Amino acid sequence: MSSMDEWTSNIIQNDPMRMYRAKRDATRRSVSSKYSILGFISSGTYGRVYKAQSLGEDAKIHAIKKFKPDKEGDVITYTGISQSAIREIALNREIDHENIVALKEVILEDKSIYMVFEFAEHDFLAIIQHHATTLRTAITPPVLKSLIYQLFNGLIYLHSCHILHRDLKPANILINAQGVVKIGDLGLARLIYQPLQPLFAGDKVVVTIWYRAPELLMGAKHYNKAIDCWAVGCVMAELASLRPIFKGEEAKLDSKKNVPFQRDQLLKIFEVLGTPEEQDWPGVKDMIEYQNMKRLDPYTNRLYEWCQTRVRSHNGYDLLRQLFAYDPDNRLTAKEALQHKWFHEEPLPTWNAFQAAPQQIPPHRRITQDEAPSMVPLPAAPFNSQTQSKPGSSASMSGGGPYVVQSGGNGGNGRKKQRMG
Amino acid sequence: MATDFWASSQYKRWIVDRATLRQARADDLLYIDDPEHLDFLAIYFAEVVGKLGKKLRLPQRAIATATVFFRRFYLKNSYCETDPFIVIAACCYVAAKAEECPVHIKNVVGDARQIFCHEPYNAKNFPSDNSKLAEMEFYLVDDLECDLTVFHPYRTLLALCKSVDASDDQATAQEEEAGEVGAGIAADDGPRYWGTGEGQLELPPNGLQTAWFIVNDTYRSELCLLYPPHLIAIAAIYLTCIFHPATHETVAAVLASGSASTTASAAADPPPRRSSRQAAERKKPAQDPLAFLAELNVSLPLIATIAQEIIAMYTLWDRYKEDASAADTPDSRGEDEAVVTPALLTAVLLKMREARFQDMAHPSSGRPVAVNKMLERTQAAG
Repeated sequence: MSSMDEWTSNIIQNDPMRMYRAKRDATRRSVSSKYSILGFISSGTYGRVYKAQSLGEDAKIHAIKKFKPDKEGDVITYTGISQSAIREIALNREIDHENIVALKEVILEDKSIYMVFEFAEHDFLAIIQHHATTLRTAITPPVLKSLIYQLFNGLIYLHSCHILHRDLKPANILINAQGVVKIGDLGLARLIYQPLQPLFAGDKVVVTIWYRAPELLMGAKHYNKAIDCWAVGCVMAELASLRPIFKGEEAKLDSKKNVPFQRDQLLKIFEVLGTPEEQDWPGVKDMIEYQNMKRLDPYTNRLYEWCQTRVRSHNGYDLLRQLFAYDPDNRLTAKEALQHKWFHEEPLPTWNAFQAAPQQIPPHRRITQDEAPSMVPLPAAPFNSQTQSKPGSSASMSGGGPYVVQSGGNGGNGRKKQRMG
Repeated sequence: MATDFWASSQYKRWIVDRATLRQARADDLLYIDDPEHLDFLAIYFAEVVGKLGKKLRLPQRAIATATVFFRRFYLKNSYCETDPFIVIAACCYVAAKAEECPVHIKNVVGDARQIFCHEPYNAKNFPSDNSKLAEMEFYLVDDLECDLTVFHPYRTLLALCKSVDASDDQATAQEEEAGEVGAGIAADDGPRYWGTGEGQLELPPNGLQTAWFIVNDTYRSELCLLYPPHLIAIAAIYLTCIFHPATHETVAAVLASGSASTTASAAADPPPRRSSRQAAERKKPAQDPLAFLAELNVSLPLIATIAQEIIAMYTLWDRYKEDASAADTPDSRGEDEAVVTPALLTAVLLKMREARFQDMAHPSSGRPVAVNKMLERTQAAG
């Protein structure tokens, strides 16, 4: 072989992966070559979600989640894929269930990650808001029961796969146009089968404060599937009453990122469920925040009264009571919940949650033109779906709207969870 | 998913046949003088992944996952067209996140440079810039088709076996291992579908440890691309029965006390399935490991094949020496038995890459062609 020439040497020494990248870039299909972006749906700490239509023959509608790219100044650069994105991608690639939002594909393009999901027209938060502000009536029992039934059905699947969702709340639970519930946003979810490190080591704070289980609020280092079941209890109560049942103010992490005592959130829970007794929850006295808890005023359980006007079914009350068991070991599991009498008495749950009451379907998801159009390469076609969006509306599903009460100060928006690590 | 290998991305997309493996190395074969060196490179790369993983203090399972990512990446790419060292660093970085034990990117870059920039790897051009590794991560995840959940044989091993020895060190060893159990087929979720569900195989002291080490060693080959992890675990148990002295004694004792119908040759015949059924009816504690294996609902000829492939890897590995001077005297080995060192393989690798890049710049026609043309041809061929 002749001696290495300069070109070869230069490439091997300076950028040995250049050929590889050129080859890969040549085969990659861009987001805009496969989808037409119809508009912007919502944003969060992770990035932004867009409504898009497949340019393929099926012309299906999708939700494309674009993870926020990292920037150094104005230059987008590679800084490593976030743990949250890796989780959401890794878990979604393995799972497949009617009641979980399906991932269609992941496109890595131009230093950004795009996750293409099936589109769901509504979510639990939109239904609550629609009933609270437009219809001004309660969600009817068959609809309520169908929504919770399907939510548990999806949760059983996740739990049987040893996946904790860790962020169940109305905004993350979607419903498609056919009335089928789809659990979404696995960005905080993780596999718990024999973890290499305790769960606590990874994420100090999990679950949005209003839906956070008492063992987490009490500082538990070890927790399990029961935290998701508590959250479902909160969601069920919220659907029944059209407002969060435990709407506490979150105490923020201090500058050293120590987790503070969540006094207000615990008080909100105790006001309805009473102060936990050792006989109901033997483990409570060993919890980090036990002494703090002892200093709070005592309350008695009045869940039964709470349910009288809101749930209006004895079995419905009994299901909530068991989902709100203080001791995680006594809390109903997703599987046990589906066996509960409430789901087996009239009205029975239906696969189209709105079957009995089509008038309760909330309006279509609003979309707007992206305020940050650089986030997605704009398609050549003009926006044509602006009819659904109100001018000037930000249309963020989890922000704004009369439903979310803007509390002052750093009590902030309880629907936003903190992400760490 | 954690419980169902058959529904996993690994089963659906990442178990391939030998022909696919051969095809994946087709380009590399054009640039290598001795095809056997490709098998040695499989060992070499596994060692490099292991070294970086240990330096980053990754648990064994995360190192195994990184190795699997590396193998999957090279199902689609050639050693001669890429820089395996940056790929290895990216595999470790992604595997740590996928296994929920993340490490900071700057530690990966720093530790990788400490290992790779020196003998015997001499990859002095390894980037010191974090964004280069992050860029590679991006392409790696794309080539892995975002399938980041990997099943390993470790869990099957612990589901099937326990150690009879209760001495302190053994108990500790097992406890440590339990923390390292990867995604696999769980034994605690209902009855095992491939076995009798009747208890576990009790291995003599250190037997489980031996099987565990054999599983670790399988990552030096491409077995993780060829067979489901539970079969690799069972092959490791089978090899433990043969090579682990205490376990082998148990097997031999059971066979020796077997009925007259067991021929004398059975002991030498792996696997002696005919005798095992009778042995299984015997009362404990003389539990017959071979009978246990025979009762699993897996193909024993397939297990024997995997065991053979593991042995073939050990035969190769025996000739792989960190340092040529520490090796046996040259005349103690035949011509085909030459010792292979990492330094030699580093040179082989560099030569392959130089030759490949030169060909891409100057194809046989003698006229330089545009890179893209070459790429198109390569793609059409691949």
